[in-house]
Amino acid sequence: MKKAKTNFWTKVYPWILPVAIIVFWQIAVQTKLINSQYVPAPSAIVAQAIKSWQAGTLQKNISISLYRATLGFIWGGGLGFFFGLFSGISALFRATFDSTIQMLRNIPHMALIPLIILVLGIDESAKIFLVAVGTFFPIYINTYHGISSVSEDLLEMGRSYDLTNWQLFTKIIFPGALPTILMGVRYSLGTMWVSLIVAETVSADSGIGYMSTNAQQFMNVKIIYLCIIIYALLGKLSDFMAKQLEIISLDWQKA
Amino acid sequence: MAKSHQLRKIFIVVFLIGWLFIAYFGWKQTTDTSSKLTTITIGYQAGDEFDIAKTRGEFAKKMKKAGYKVKFKEFQNGSAEMQALATGAIDYARTGDTPPVTALASGTNLTYVGAGGSKEQGTGILVKTSSGINSLSDLAGKKIAYTQGTSSQYLLLKALQKAGLSTSDVELVSLDQSAAAVAYEKGKVDAWANWDPQTSRLELNGSKLLVNGSDISDNNRSYLVASTSFAKSNKKVSKLIIKYLNQDMQWVNKNQTKAIKMMAKSLKLSTSVVSKMVKRRTYSFGYMTKTAVQESQDIANLFYEQGVIKKKVNVKSHVQYLK
Repeated sequence: MKKAKTNFWTKVYPWILPVAIIVFWQIAVQTKLINSQYVPAPSAIVAQAIKSWQAGTLQKNISISLYRATLGFIWGGGLGFFFGLFSGISALFRATFDSTIQMLRNIPHMALIPLIILVLGIDESAKIFLVAVGTFFPIYINTYHGISSVSEDLLEMGRSYDLTNWQLFTKIIFPGALPTILMGVRYSLGTMWVSLIVAETVSADSGIGYMSTNAQQFMNVKIIYLCIIIYALLGKLSDFMAKQLEIISLDWQKA
Repeated sequence: MAKSHQLRKIFIVVFLIGWLFIAYFGWKQTTDTSSKLTTITIGYQAGDEFDIAKTRGEFAKKMKKAGYKVKFKEFQNGSAEMQALATGAIDYARTGDTPPVTALASGTNLTYVGAGGSKEQGTGILVKTSSGINSLSDLAGKKIAYTQGTSSQYLLLKALQKAGLSTSDVELVSLDQSAAAVAYEKGKVDAWANWDPQTSRLELNGSKLLVNGSDISDNNRSYLVASTSFAKSNKKVSKLIIKYLNQDMQWVNKNQTKAIKMMAKSLKLSTSVVSKMVKRRTYSFGYMTKTAVQESQDIANLFYEQGVIKKKVNVKSHVQYLK
């Protein structure tokens, strides 16, 4: 009985603050505490969402953004994992690539845009590339870090059991690195959305980022807020997903 | 424990399938159905002549009949369009009067192929009615927003020149359209050099035009430019585009009410704003004229004098007079 109660609390408690903020926000706008020209009420934003949905633009833009984000994540995350993995296990590979990657890591996306237009043009590939760049680094760093920090003692023990290199990898190195790698996945799911906003300002005529910049041009405040909220929800959703994945694949740790 | 994992796994799989399904739906929308027609890619900006042609739909149909598939690419501003033109990502670009001049100064190979009607009434420097700024000389010491490399830069320099002010007498802030909109609305800048539909929208919301294009003989035409090599070998296409675009423009002039309704919907602006914009200009599009070339040359000269561009530009040698 007591357990059920704490369970309920741990589920509900994190939602109290966001709900309270929304309620306060609605009241503040209705009592004219906040100017609705700059900050529209939550109810007005919901109404705008319904209006955009009925016009068909909302679901179209969301699905296009999701497509760009997913493909970019698969490319960037996949390559990041590949490079991180080899940097973690091979000293030669690390010496060849690591310092270059660390240099590239801190280049702001905005600075890359002219280059991307020059090389990739303005089509989908340019946008997907930018998302891939954004998702590459977190996964690279975490994979590399996770693999290189597997305890030497465990490896020693494995060797004394005559494990082959492949067995060492699948039984000790990879499981040991997995928590850090999954942290990288979670982090890069966040940067995925951030990169996408930047990407969708490059000659886009669709996507949530486009919806937002287009609304900014004509000061359509409700759509601006709607887009921010959609980003927040998509971000939360992908984070939730990654967390579920973590829980399942790290179950062995408890044993 | 095992059971809750089962549920979690099912949940993740269902979620992933849903995700991929939506992403697939998005992919379907970004890929066009392939066809054997030659594709012509045109860069445009929200609310311009091609935006009308795109929304109306007749233009693409006529081009298709003539054997060309038209792809429209929207841009936030002219300098991005010029970049895309230089790399061949687009074949044609419809821009304001200034971007081609700055692009020519930086060595981009482009050719003017067409010019639009003048729209001097809708271009100008906006100030809030309550700001107490009533003449150009009141701008001294004020913060003015504009967008570098766009027609607002020329307008601003020309207006300052007329008022006998130099750029050091005022504080110029280059902001892109969306940032400038917010900064102006919140009073972080005192004035904003801009064009329609922004000017119409703000004039109906407590702002006024301190000066417009006609006061300082800045006609702020639209231009159709293409890369030099493309323009040379595609005269026929250029002619078709200008002909069909002009038909759309004439349609707007004759069917203002219908056009206003259509544009208000696609731009998500109120009909009063769009109607103000449409009524104060005459829509047209044609081949390059000597007047249009001279207007562009004036921009190049002023920019060179003021050090905005470092190279002298001779517009005449980058023009194609179609017949």
